[in-house]
Amino acid sequence: MALINRETRLCDVISAHPDVVPVVNRFGITLGTGDLTVEAICREHSLDADFVLVILNTFINGEYFPERTLRSFSASAIIDYLIKTDGYYSQFQLPNIHRHFSLLMRSSADVTNNLTHLYRFYQVIERELLSYIDHDLKVWFPAIVALERGKAAECPAGDEQGSASVEEKLHDLINMFIQHLSGEYDLNLCYAVFTAIVALEKDLRQNYRIRNRILLPLSRQLVNQSRG
Amino acid sequence: MKVSLRLGDTASAIGLRYLLDTYFDIMASVGACADSDADPATLYIVSPEELASRLDFYIPRRQRTVVAGPGSAMLDTTADESDIVERLQELLHTCEPAVSTVGADLSPREIEVLKLVVAGFINKEIAEQLNISFHTVLSHRKNISSKLGIKSVSGLSVYAMMNGYL
Repeated sequence: MALINRETRLCDVISAHPDVVPVVNRFGITLGTGDLTVEAICREHSLDADFVLVILNTFINGEYFPERTLRSFSASAIIDYLIKTDGYYSQFQLPNIHRHFSLLMRSSADVTNNLTHLYRFYQVIERELLSYIDHDLKVWFPAIVALERGKAAECPAGDEQGSASVEEKLHDLINMFIQHLSGEYDLNLCYAVFTAIVALEKDLRQNYRIRNRILLPLSRQLVNQSRG
Repeated sequence: MKVSLRLGDTASAIGLRYLLDTYFDIMASVGACADSDADPATLYIVSPEELASRLDFYIPRRQRTVVAGPGSAMLDTTADESDIVERLQELLHTCEPAVSTVGADLSPREIEVLKLVVAGFINKEIAEQLNISFHTVLSHRKNISSKLGIKSVSGLSVYAMMNGYL
């Protein structure tokens, strides 16, 4: 799909890319969009249309990453979006995968499959991701906001390694499903778990691009400015 | 694969034991064992009476429990030998513990490297242990990740567990 602009109807965007639904949900936009354009919907929800467009285009087009445009937004606006994505992971996506995975395990009593190993691996990734999110929400993000508002002079360095580690492990888990899953199991539930993990991996990848390539340099810039 | 024959009819048990030994190289145990005998890879071939008397043991293991006896739909002990062998083959195949066949693609050297990686050794230590160069270790690791589609050490550990390398 070509880049989305203000005049693009949101229903066309969702129709072409249904996986964008959780992203628009983060802005408070829900299904039932009518045939309103992105600009009209943003106006209705009091949203910055430019920011919404950049996020949607970044999510949909893997190659699209307008660093200069993104850096023109305030750190607080980017953090506000990242807090919503983190909330979506911790409150909806991870529990959803966990629930479906547990169900898959229970429905696949057949000991001949190797799902147990994949489930344990998923739990390791889940714990690591939650701990990473927790640190961002409680420590890093508030420190950047305080810095931007002139209420602090320093801010702890953001961690890039943690996100790379989670991404790599999720990628491994997906490949394990594709290449190494064996035995008998509930095909439908397995598909549900698999697609949910793939969706999480894609979402996280885009999220980390914004976090590591926009917010991280922005926070360093703010530290340098406050030091004069 | 282990097979436990728990049949009231001794002749049937001896006959099945003979077939399992002859055609599948499996030495089945005969007679009921303690409940602590709960090897997850065991196939239980039981009489209807045995099943009924210990439902609490067999229900959780229903995927690996086969009721055998004269006229049984699961394993008819009065059927022709060839039919019984064919049926046993199906049952054993169903209960075979999962082992990824992709593991066979790793060379013996790559498996050695994999075991050391998941044991926590760094590349330099692996090179010393296997008496190969640091670059050869890197090359093996690259090949392992490429073949398995797994890069992280924790992912490789899971793979190693799945394939009995740990």
